[in-house]
Amino acid sequence: MARMKFLCDADRCIECNACVTACKNEHEVPWGINRRRVVTINDGKPGERSVSMACMHCTDAPCAAVCPVNCIYTTADGVVLHSKDLCIGCGYCFYACPFGAPQYPKVGNFGSRGKMDKCTFCAGGPEADGSKAEYEKYGANRLAEGKLPLCAEMCSTKSLLAGDGEIIAQIYKERVMKRGYGSGAWGWKTAYRETIES
Amino acid sequence: MVCLARFARLLIGTGVLLLLISAASPSIAQQVNPTASSVKEQQLLQELKRVQGRVSIPDQRSGVLEQPAGREWREFRNVTLHWIGGVAILGMLAALIIFYLSRGMVRLQSGRSGRTLVRFSSFERFVHWMTATCFIILALSGLNITFGRTLLLPWMGHEAFSEWSQWAKYAHNYLSFPFTIGVVLIFLMWLAGNIPNKVDVDWVKRGGGIVGHDHPPAYRFNAGQKAIYWIVVIGGGLVAATGYTLMFPFYLSGIEGMQLAQVVHSIVAMLFMAVMLAHIYIGTIGMEGAFEAMGSGTVDVNWAKEHHSLWLEEENARTGANDARTQPTAAE
Amino acid sequence: MLIKRTQQRSEIASSGSIAAGLSGQGSGLDRRTFLRRSGLAGGALAALSTLPLGSVRTAKAAMAGPLTSGAAVRKSICTHCSVGCTVTAEVLNGVWIGQEPSWDSPINRGSHCAKGASVRELVHSERRLRYPMKLVDGQWTRVSWDTAVNEIGEKLLEIRGKSGPDSVYWLGSAKMTNEGSYLFRKLGAFWGTNNTDHQARICHSTTVTGVANTWGYGAMTNSFNDIRNAKTQIIMGGNPAEAHPVSLQHLLEGKELKKANFVVIDPRLTRTAAHATEYVRMRPGTDIPVLYGMMWHILQNGWEDKEFIKQRVYGFDDLRKEVEKWNPEEVERVSGVPGEQLKRVAKMLATERPATLIWAMGQTQKTVGTANVRASCIALLLTGNVGGPGTGANIFRGHDNVQGATDVGLDIVTLPFYYGLAEGAWKHWSRVWEVDYDFLKSRFDSKQIMETPGIPLTRWFEAVTLPKDQIAQKDNVRAMFVQGHASNSITRVPESLNGLKALELLVVADPHPTTWASLAVEAGRKDGLYLLPVGTQFECKGSRVASNRSLQWGEQIVKPVFESKDDLEVMYLVAKKLGFADKMFKNIKVENNLPEAEDILREMNRGSWSTGYCGQSPERLKAHMKNQAKFDFLTMRAPKDDPEVGGDYYGLPWPCWGSPEVRHPGTPLLYNTNLSVMDGGGTFRPRFGIEREEKLADGTTRKVSLLAEGSYSKDSEITDGYPEFTLASLKKLGWDKDLSEAEMATITKINSANPDAVSWSLDLSGGIQRVALKHGCVPYGNGKARMNAFGLPDPIPVHREPIYTPRVDLVAKYPTLPDAKQFRLPNIGFSVQKAAVEKGIAKQFPLILSSGRLVEYEGGGEETRTNPWLAELQQDMFIEISPADAADRGIKDGGWVWVTGAENNSRARMKALVTERVGKGVAWMPFHFGGWFAGKDLRGNYPKGTDPIVLGESANTITTYGYDPATGMQEPKVTLCQIAAA
Repeated sequence: MARMKFLCDADRCIECNACVTACKNEHEVPWGINRRRVVTINDGKPGERSVSMACMHCTDAPCAAVCPVNCIYTTADGVVLHSKDLCIGCGYCFYACPFGAPQYPKVGNFGSRGKMDKCTFCAGGPEADGSKAEYEKYGANRLAEGKLPLCAEMCSTKSLLAGDGEIIAQIYKERVMKRGYGSGAWGWKTAYRETIES
Repeated sequence: MVCLARFARLLIGTGVLLLLISAASPSIAQQVNPTASSVKEQQLLQELKRVQGRVSIPDQRSGVLEQPAGREWREFRNVTLHWIGGVAILGMLAALIIFYLSRGMVRLQSGRSGRTLVRFSSFERFVHWMTATCFIILALSGLNITFGRTLLLPWMGHEAFSEWSQWAKYAHNYLSFPFTIGVVLIFLMWLAGNIPNKVDVDWVKRGGGIVGHDHPPAYRFNAGQKAIYWIVVIGGGLVAATGYTLMFPFYLSGIEGMQLAQVVHSIVAMLFMAVMLAHIYIGTIGMEGAFEAMGSGTVDVNWAKEHHSLWLEEENARTGANDARTQPTAAE
Repeated sequence: MLIKRTQQRSEIASSGSIAAGLSGQGSGLDRRTFLRRSGLAGGALAALSTLPLGSVRTAKAAMAGPLTSGAAVRKSICTHCSVGCTVTAEVLNGVWIGQEPSWDSPINRGSHCAKGASVRELVHSERRLRYPMKLVDGQWTRVSWDTAVNEIGEKLLEIRGKSGPDSVYWLGSAKMTNEGSYLFRKLGAFWGTNNTDHQARICHSTTVTGVANTWGYGAMTNSFNDIRNAKTQIIMGGNPAEAHPVSLQHLLEGKELKKANFVVIDPRLTRTAAHATEYVRMRPGTDIPVLYGMMWHILQNGWEDKEFIKQRVYGFDDLRKEVEKWNPEEVERVSGVPGEQLKRVAKMLATERPATLIWAMGQTQKTVGTANVRASCIALLLTGNVGGPGTGANIFRGHDNVQGATDVGLDIVTLPFYYGLAEGAWKHWSRVWEVDYDFLKSRFDSKQIMETPGIPLTRWFEAVTLPKDQIAQKDNVRAMFVQGHASNSITRVPESLNGLKALELLVVADPHPTTWASLAVEAGRKDGLYLLPVGTQFECKGSRVASNRSLQWGEQIVKPVFESKDDLEVMYLVAKKLGFADKMFKNIKVENNLPEAEDILREMNRGSWSTGYCGQSPERLKAHMKNQAKFDFLTMRAPKDDPEVGGDYYGLPWPCWGSPEVRHPGTPLLYNTNLSVMDGGGTFRPRFGIEREEKLADGTTRKVSLLAEGSYSKDSEITDGYPEFTLASLKKLGWDKDLSEAEMATITKINSANPDAVSWSLDLSGGIQRVALKHGCVPYGNGKARMNAFGLPDPIPVHREPIYTPRVDLVAKYPTLPDAKQFRLPNIGFSVQKAAVEKGIAKQFPLILSSGRLVEYEGGGEETRTNPWLAELQQDMFIEISPADAADRGIKDGGWVWVTGAENNSRARMKALVTERVGKGVAWMPFHFGGWFAGKDLRGNYPKGTDPIVLGESANTITTYGYDPATGMQEPKVTLCQIAAA
């Protein structure tokens, strides 16, 4: 069984934000919600690196563990999904998430949170695969169509990898071996409690 | 509490980060090899406990790339807090039950005089009950967030539990406002009577009359009540402040601040609830004649004599009559 | 419930079969799903075979989502930059519902940047101009297309009658398809003016001129893919990570696979520099000293490629004299770059070959732009790094079709395909167009003006406002017809307001109102302003030329939205109104007022022998798009045995010699002698004579050959240099008998008086080319590249300080060129520079201001700032300033500042970005913003509902005077400014 993961090769990422707009495009994500974002560390200084980040679909996902209503679940593919019907918008997943993945549309007064929204690894939600209801709540379900997340598929430099964890780890390892350097699989230790030895 | 220490460390770490940023030398060597000098994740995490950078979107909080501290918070929420809450609330309940069984209700030793005396005005009672009602709902809805998934979800089912939790969240958010107002009013209303003094020391030394059958003198509020007052004021203030931090995300603090706020909020709330259980106990089945004070607003003179002798003297002196009035007045 | 759901999913996934009915939806593999699956499998294979690329997942149980099933898949080309990424669109019921990665494209291999991944929104946009509008008494009023075209036509004819045809300026676009740009140029010719220009003027006009003057053609010599072969990549004056992000896929993979040197020379530590193995910071405007500094070390150490220079280069001795002046001390004094570092880079360039030099507007947008790119070419010639894999001048062009628009001559100096403006060129095109030369001549004010270059777009407002006697044409410009060009990407915006006010007519044909509209209203215009809604390039079909010279055919993805019209239709309607449509569209089919793109391309094929655009028929281009997957990723060549595209290079990169039937495969690398011409080989083009008389020191003269010596392309029957082919030269070689009778007849018809003079570029039969190719020869000849480009203002590049320089101490030694009249207008750069020094401008405005690109936006930015997916990512105009300069001025990161410029009391309000990205003394702005002016928000000036989401100050509010003498290029990369906290 494939275990889906993301891996951003920071030595390839050029902060072009293709992943960000591809995500917007595929799921019609509204203004203000950024399921994926690119963060640049040491901006403007030597050693600057950019990393594209979204939900990492953690092993033993903290968000799922702390959700008061248990609306977050992990699929057989290792994708962490949630039910917007069950979500009460409490914000706990956001406190627990190491990657700032959960997003909340501002609804109502007092900046109160609406239903949590986050990257679905292009795998929709609990509704029937490819249904209209699924699309409206969670966006497209590419995984069910045998396709991978569009952010990674459209990555300008093939920096962002998505797919079976073992395969993408292998790809990354080979890259690092060939080129002789690598700043590591960002977030892997935190998300999957493993690192890629290179 | 280990958690709190961790959070404190985290805050210090943030400070260090800011210092590092500001101290970074502006000069760039001409000869740089950016590939060789690229930043490394594990190094950053070791140094700063989190990784932060620049994003172009206005939402600057998303500049935090990684903050594994969430894991510690998760441990707190899912394990530590359950213990704190469980021990505090169940422990208090157990203690009260044992106490009740062993001590029983504190009776009016001299029986009722039939004469009453106004103890709380209707406004005071309104404030008390408004705050109390809010508190109970806040407590239950709060407990639901912590324990509902374990205790209620399995037999309620997902839909029903989410539905209830959604309403509970709304209630928790919106009732926080009257609750906070209540706490503020309580603070102002009863501040004068709650300044600790020498009498309190004696009162505490004599066990407040609860343990034995003694009746140490007390003014309008005895030391126990003063303790409740200050717990309400300080605890209420804390839960309110931390609660609003959580209700308005990022207005007041970043994610670490919110984690810390949630830790403070939940610990204080749990202890608050435990204390309030005791307060409810003593105000109801724990002591004969006590509930009336907040119920009708009047108390029997004998009750006052036994529990608040100095207050009774004051009242008598103030009204200039040895005889207590038989009719309550609207206001003092 | 949730748990059950997860189980269901796992069943679907693990069964590995086509899951039918499990989720209550249709099953089976429809064509689209099949295509998708094979696309994925292709991606996976590619990942494992070459350097692992992206996402891999074995395509398993695939279910087409009911939302998208039945959608048609159409391919077009991204409209945002010249990399040429294929865009794959899913269209259902005429609505563009989804975008998929284009795995098959050998250029982008599925990838996009932020802009490419969001192009669907351009078509969707709620904020597009929906119908023609007209400014009436200061109010935007809706009008019909008929009314608009009629009124515009009447006014144009009135101006023509009063002031002559040169008083109408036709400003076209690199955004149009090749067919659109060509037709627009043709429209200008039929109207009777050479005042036709487009964005190349302000991006790579200096490249085109400088590079063509060096070795024949002014274009990227190799391709993005070929950079993978380089052992040393030097990027100087470019930030492809933001401007051409998908190209970085090739650059970075090349860097990794070849363990290549990746050197970035730039005043800013750009996103590209973040990945460099060596970063060199230089003072803006000192490209020539830096390049000469490198050459100094090369000559000092004897690292130059002596054999290459001897065989293929002219003017080496002249160069040596100039380079000798640039010892490390002088280089460091002028540019700030230490000698040791330059020595290291020079050594890489010369010894770790193949090496390539990559540049973009960092070199070109200068008063010395032409000289800059010439110096770059010279560095390549000196080290023998031209004409082979992994080498070359890899010039990253800007817009998606800017290479094509340049080639088709949407330009002030030439007719299509670099034929120039001389009588012979006009006669050639009148033969191609099948109109009388005399008719064309009659359209112009005079034969003399017909053969005189027009006014560069950089100076359109001066053509409107300068006194009539300073303009070398009958009258001032009175009308601007702008189809697809921003106004805020032209420097000196404050002065352009005068032009906007003074015009009699302004027509903006564009999907968006653009800053032409908002600034014109700001300038006080009340009428005489029309907005015509034009579809985006996804709403029309045609070919686009990527930077690597590959032509790609884009399908129409959806019909033009609202009342928008195709570019071609707009031109047809205007031509019809102006009365020459029948002649102009003589050989072009027009249906419902829409000229057929394929026919236009065929007409181009028939006339474009000079540049080798003759072999790319629409049929061949469409076959390439259909067979994208067959082209090799590295060589871009299809297997020879393929029935449709066998042996072709992807997109038939020009020159693609001969008629389509010759099946020339295209030329992926220019001037590559290692291949035979029919495999894409070539030589330097002898474009400047066969020999040159040089004066020697003793007063005598000698004749030096400009033809190659002992170097020739593989399989060439002539094993030495040779001039271009004419009928006469064929006869001399005895090859004229290879010409068919029909070909001979055509040749004779072209010049019945002297058929021998008919050359490879004028022969409409293609016979001369065919015969030359048959003998393994390049039709244009085999010459030397020129280090000494006699004829240019500085034949050997000379460092000249920017007009506004902070180093006033260097102006005396390195002054700009004297004032002169160029392109019908005076260029008073020298006087401006002198005055600036005398007035102490550098003291008042001590910071160097440079400008550049953000990945999210493009050009003037109206289109991209209207796209919410992009606009969200960059919401404020900003200026980068170094921490030291910010501290001096009390400026905080993210705080508001006023930027003031050295001319026009210009000022602009924006946010400060305090960063070490720029060095001390340098500030930098992105140039995509517009819609504010001098601190004022002009949102109200746009017609309701058409204002871009994000507005901001335009960088060009602050930019200043300065024009390259050879091309009229503006100078937005180096000027002076001051910044103060607001």
